[in-house]
Amino acid sequence: MFQISEIIKTTNLTKVYGQQKSVDHLNITVNQGEIYGFLGRNGAGKTTTIRMLLGLIKPTSGQIELFGENLFKNHKGILRRIGSMVEVPGFYENLTARENLLINAKIIGVHKKNAIEEALEIVDLHHETKKLVGKYSLGMKQRLGIARALLHYPELLILDEPTNGLDPIGIKEMRNLIQSLAKERNITIFVSSHILSEIEQLADHMGIIHEGKLLEEIAFESLRKRNRKYLEFQVSNDNKAAMLLESHFGISDYEVHDEGNIRVYSHLGSQGKLNKVFVENDIDVLKIKVSEDNLEDYFAKLVGGGAIG
Amino acid sequence: MADLLFTEFLKLKRSSMFLISLLGSAVAPFVVVIATFIHEPATPFQDLFYNVNLYTVLIIGVPLYGVVTTYLFNREYTENTLKNLLTIPVSRVSFIISKTLLLFLWIMMLSIIAWGLTLFLGMLTQFDGLSSSLLLDSLKQFSTGGILLFVLSTPIILVTLVTKNYVPTIIFTVVITLINVMAGNSEHRGLFPWAAAGDISNQTLPPTYPVEYSYIIIATTALIGFISMFVYFKKTDIH
Repeated sequence: MFQISEIIKTTNLTKVYGQQKSVDHLNITVNQGEIYGFLGRNGAGKTTTIRMLLGLIKPTSGQIELFGENLFKNHKGILRRIGSMVEVPGFYENLTARENLLINAKIIGVHKKNAIEEALEIVDLHHETKKLVGKYSLGMKQRLGIARALLHYPELLILDEPTNGLDPIGIKEMRNLIQSLAKERNITIFVSSHILSEIEQLADHMGIIHEGKLLEEIAFESLRKRNRKYLEFQVSNDNKAAMLLESHFGISDYEVHDEGNIRVYSHLGSQGKLNKVFVENDIDVLKIKVSEDNLEDYFAKLVGGGAIG
Repeated sequence: MADLLFTEFLKLKRSSMFLISLLGSAVAPFVVVIATFIHEPATPFQDLFYNVNLYTVLIIGVPLYGVVTTYLFNREYTENTLKNLLTIPVSRVSFIISKTLLLFLWIMMLSIIAWGLTLFLGMLTQFDGLSSSLLLDSLKQFSTGGILLFVLSTPIILVTLVTKNYVPTIIFTVVITLINVMAGNSEHRGLFPWAAAGDISNQTLPPTYPVEYSYIIIATTALIGFISMFVYFKKTDIH
């Protein structure tokens, strides 16, 4: 049987600063090929987690496994398989983009002749041959950060708030770039953000962190299903009600839950008609509810009120 | 390590600090040679070298090389590039060694430039007493001064790594320079590592204490700085 390998796995990962737990017994799992969105408010512990994943800060306790290996036992070997961009990427501003990438290429030992050119082409910066990085806009620096992270053909890309400070066009370009990298290069991507819509449009799995704790880890497909709008009927005979939905209205997008609970995901707004047919067929309708939860409401509830951000 | 050192040189391309340090190293030769030419033109060439080396090691060298040291290490923090280097990954030990190696070359280059400028300006103003043995001896003195100041840069590196700021390092080096000046006429100056470095390079250590004391104090200071900076940098979190 085909088994999806775990690229990132943390076990009870904890970081304590003084009295404050910045990351608290965090257990996350990222599988190969996923775009994993790491969502949380500012100060929730996202960057601290990422810095621990990259060995920049040492955990107070807990384990980090990357590619199935303990990070601290093969730190160098593991990091060579990762490309990363932590917050706003830093560059030597007195150098050009090529010269900045040459520094990485030399140290990593990238011998492919046109690797730098290729990386710059991916982020569309290959025409900026003479411009010093000090004169780059924030968006250009973010793109150059991605180019640098891709230079050595990593299997895992860790990006911390890659759209921070970008204008709407820049955000869209960054999103497209990340998605194409995942698709075309089959890179597993771990991306953090405090913007729900960003993660929603980008990721296929998501972990929500709040006050250092992981509140939920879920696939977006399941989440959307869970948060779809629906009509909920509590009826005396759910079998008969289900048959009526199919035969009378041609509805197949429904779910029967326990205790006579039926959720209908189509025909929203037709609760009156549905109710009438149920009653005419001797089904007692005990309750009708129109769900109005959307993803934002769901998150607000999860993190205890307020919006993410 | 060769690749790492190459990248350290590359980072200096178009760097204004490089030019500033060159200007800094030219201050002592210009001031000493021109002032001597105006006030005491009969001074022998040997004294020119002695005075320039004295000012370079005791007065200008500590703050100048301190700023160079801070620039080399601190820019990785201020330009936010350290986390990139450490996640490539460059080991923390290699990082420190490559920077320290470049610092050594930089300090030696500035020392040799100070020597070369003294020679050039002294010849231009036609001071007497230049000989091949003087050239060799003075070169040795300037090199010794450079090496000792490099060895004593480890506490300055430590201050830079801990504070991640130019200001504390500048204050630290200014305090060292002040002590050098105050200890100038003291018979105990051989016990202060930076003042002892000046005396060792110019072979003017006062006989108050055995020469070994000065060497041991310099070595101990350098070693404590070296071990502390390694231990600190190995253990510290990078934010």
